[in-house]
Amino acid sequence: MKRIEVKLALTVVAPLLDVIKGMAEGLRQNLAAPHGPMDLDAEFSAAWTGELLEAQNADVAALLAMFNDEFFAEGVIAFDEDNAEPIVRATAAVRLRLREHYLKPLGDETLESGNVELERLDDPLRKAFMCYLFLATIQELIIQHLDSSILES
Amino acid sequence: MTVSQSKTQGAPAAQSATELEYEGLWRVVVLNDPVNLMSYVVLVFKKVFGFDETTARKHMLEVHEQGRSVVWSGMREKAEAYAFTLQQWHLTTVLEQDEVR
Repeated sequence: MKRIEVKLALTVVAPLLDVIKGMAEGLRQNLAAPHGPMDLDAEFSAAWTGELLEAQNADVAALLAMFNDEFFAEGVIAFDEDNAEPIVRATAAVRLRLREHYLKPLGDETLESGNVELERLDDPLRKAFMCYLFLATIQELIIQHLDSSILES
Repeated sequence: MTVSQSKTQGAPAAQSATELEYEGLWRVVVLNDPVNLMSYVVLVFKKVFGFDETTARKHMLEVHEQGRSVVWSGMREKAEAYAFTLQQWHLTTVLEQDEVR
């Protein structure tokens, strides 16, 4: 089984985990990307949202599980063919939630370009933006190295 | 292909208002968001629709540059299934009924 290990700087990443966990908590009851007009009746819409939430929670649990004892001991996180797909989806969910809760003041154009002067941001916003970038990096690593596993699963 | 299939199906003798409302062609439309990475959107299109790299990139660029892309059209039930899957991947997705019936 293909496995990618990434060594992270604990002192940089560990402080971001509280932000990620906070976003994960918010995602327990809220969809990262609420669905638009689907013309569904109320009962079907509730079932639709419920199933999406259930899947989203399972994905976010896989993301959080990455930060296990090995991470806190050695700063290592690992992706493989089993967790790549849920983690890549969960990173998208948490990034969307970060935008909703912290990053809107930056503006969408800035978020898309990624051109942000970190030192000009206040602490909560800077930490949120660092999380946003960190999760994008995880996502890119998985897509770069494990996309075939995801496409074939 | 899907167009001709839907148009050649015979209408049932009696249909409910919901059935009539849902018949015809439906478009699955993905809307732009400022968060999801281009590479991620391409991956999702390849995974969900089986698009090749070129087709997936074409739709991704439509979303990015025009704000939306029609990624599939056909019968309502299947359109709902695709929309659900795209929403599982956190892409903002809506269904639109085709005006030409």
